[in-house]
Amino acid sequence: MTAVTPYRAEIMKNGKLPPILVVDDNHDNAEIIRQYLEIRGYPITVAHDGDEALVLFETVKPALVLLDVMMPGRDGWEVCRIMKQHPTLGRSVRVIMVTALDEWQDKREALQIGADDYVEKPFDLPTLAATVQRNLAMQRAMAS
Amino acid sequence: MSEPTVLTDVADATVDRAVAQLDGWTLQRVKSTALVDSIADGGGVRVVVIESTDPSLLRTVVDRAHAAGVAVVVACADDLARRRAVELRAEEWYRCPADAEEIVQRMRSAIGRSIPARAAVADRVERVEYEQMLHDALTGLPTLPVMIERSRALFKERGELVVLYLNFVRYTKIEEIYGWEKLDAVLETTAIAVREFLDDTAMSTSRLMVSFTNDDDFIFFHVPAAGVAAATESEITETVSRLQRHVASRIEAQHGEDIAALFDIYVGRAHVYYNPKIRLERLIYRGIREAANAARSIEERERARRVADLRSSLRDRAVYIDYHPIVVTESLEIFGYEALARGVLRSLRSPEVMFDVAAEADLLWELSRLCRSRAIEGIETRLQPNELLFLNVDPHDFNDPAFNEREVKYPNRVVIEITERTAIRDYPKFRERLRAFRDIGFRFAVDDAGSGYAGLGSIANLEPDFIKLDISLINGIDTNFIKQSLVETMVKFANDQGAMVIAEGVERAEEFKAVKDLGVHLVQGFFLHRPSSLPQTVARAVASR
Repeated sequence: MTAVTPYRAEIMKNGKLPPILVVDDNHDNAEIIRQYLEIRGYPITVAHDGDEALVLFETVKPALVLLDVMMPGRDGWEVCRIMKQHPTLGRSVRVIMVTALDEWQDKREALQIGADDYVEKPFDLPTLAATVQRNLAMQRAMAS
Repeated sequence: MSEPTVLTDVADATVDRAVAQLDGWTLQRVKSTALVDSIADGGGVRVVVIESTDPSLLRTVVDRAHAAGVAVVVACADDLARRRAVELRAEEWYRCPADAEEIVQRMRSAIGRSIPARAAVADRVERVEYEQMLHDALTGLPTLPVMIERSRALFKERGELVVLYLNFVRYTKIEEIYGWEKLDAVLETTAIAVREFLDDTAMSTSRLMVSFTNDDDFIFFHVPAAGVAAATESEITETVSRLQRHVASRIEAQHGEDIAALFDIYVGRAHVYYNPKIRLERLIYRGIREAANAARSIEERERARRVADLRSSLRDRAVYIDYHPIVVTESLEIFGYEALARGVLRSLRSPEVMFDVAAEADLLWELSRLCRSRAIEGIETRLQPNELLFLNVDPHDFNDPAFNEREVKYPNRVVIEITERTAIRDYPKFRERLRAFRDIGFRFAVDDAGSGYAGLGSIANLEPDFIKLDISLINGIDTNFIKQSLVETMVKFANDQGAMVIAEGVERAEEFKAVKDLGVHLVQGFFLHRPSSLPQTVARAVASR
């Protein structure tokens, strides 16, 4: 399992990996992401809609949220905005929007609501993992 | 209530060891077929750990468990079982064989997730939103409804209340120029400074609370302490002017003089007396309105004074130019200067303030003419022969009959910056005017590019030689990957068009590195140079002293 090695190194260095919340109304998508990241040692929690995501956000206190934009009910934009305004958790959490964000407007929108990064759909898993890693690295750099 | 119980059909003893790790929990083992009834028995069942592979049984168990607010963990022998568990929305699953630690962890996480049964989820989300409404996330200050509740009893008891309304003008301008993140940071500084100050004044002995109206205004309630008279008018006036200085110095220290120059605060006050005949909330709201009106009338008086200042400045040509270097990213050599016009009078020091006042007094063209001619003087007196002058011109100025392309002796040394923020009404006519300028050697820059939702199309329309990125895209670009991607797009676009990209507002080494890595051609910002009215060589000598 050579692919896992760098993540192993990270675990060795930092002890536990930070928890991640995956939000996607598509169960298959959510499950694929969960498995892929879990193998790499991240504790993963999955939510399937915006409301559930907000509740889990408070209980799980994730370091990073992978947030699908297109969801029925509360969409990803709104969920991101509320998370970023959270009085205690909003400051540190990194939010990655998972979306077909190829449009200029969408990226402006994402900036407006405070998102930190995005992964374009359809995504490939190595890109997703790399995006997760660079955001967690940034979070560590900002904390120190 | 009976003790918490884990219900299971799993024969493996690892589950027993797992449950033993949960303090005070018991394990109840039944046959798979008895699971449904055992959940229904109520009692203390909180978690079901199920290994049965019968799909219909599994479905019934999950449904029943969810109806009862019980979490389900599925012990999966294979991939099929796992997929089914996910499909049925069991809270958790684990792959067999698993050790006791893993099972405990799964049970804990399942419990955490099942606490809000579906109906309760909406309630909890609503509560979160509600709480967010009561306290401002940024400053941690209570909002008005909370504050009224807190002061109710005190106000009744003491019989009077002083409302102070702090109107921070031009905070919206900060947002417009630097983006919301900057305004958030400034508001945070303001709230901290205000609180610091209050802890330190005579008014701190009385009860004093702070509210925040989610915009750029703050409200104070000052209820005098028992046996102490309410602060007098003169005490309040004195306190307010000290507060103003304190907040201004804090903002300057944290965010620099350009932002501090935008800072103005007007304070209005109202004295409210308790009256049992009138609803207390209404009394307070009326007090707030009265105080807000008072603040506004002070602001208006101040504005009239500034218009007078501007008229005298125009008469005396009392405007000077600060030149802000624009440098080549790779070599750091000076490429040109942006001319920033400033009023000689202190009240008009900030260009934003000066142009605001001019717009109100209908003196925009007069002020623009003065600023332009002052800036252009610098080509001969201030710039090296190979350096360009970047001149801010409002699209509106092109309608000024006094502004024409023959006004300048060295058109090929001048880059006209046109902001993307101002809507251009008559595009064909505007482009025709631009062409007249371009034909004799002027070049053009689109200022504040990327500030709006409009993409690259509106920029392409102006066929610029330079694209100046909006400050809000540069502010914090090192930590935000979306900003990086937008700037990357812009650089690529510019390279295709044969234009150069300028990043302004580069304040930190990290931001400089980020824009350099993205291939931005030119940079401008405090990290490299401050604007100065002196020739660069002199300014350097002064700085090194």
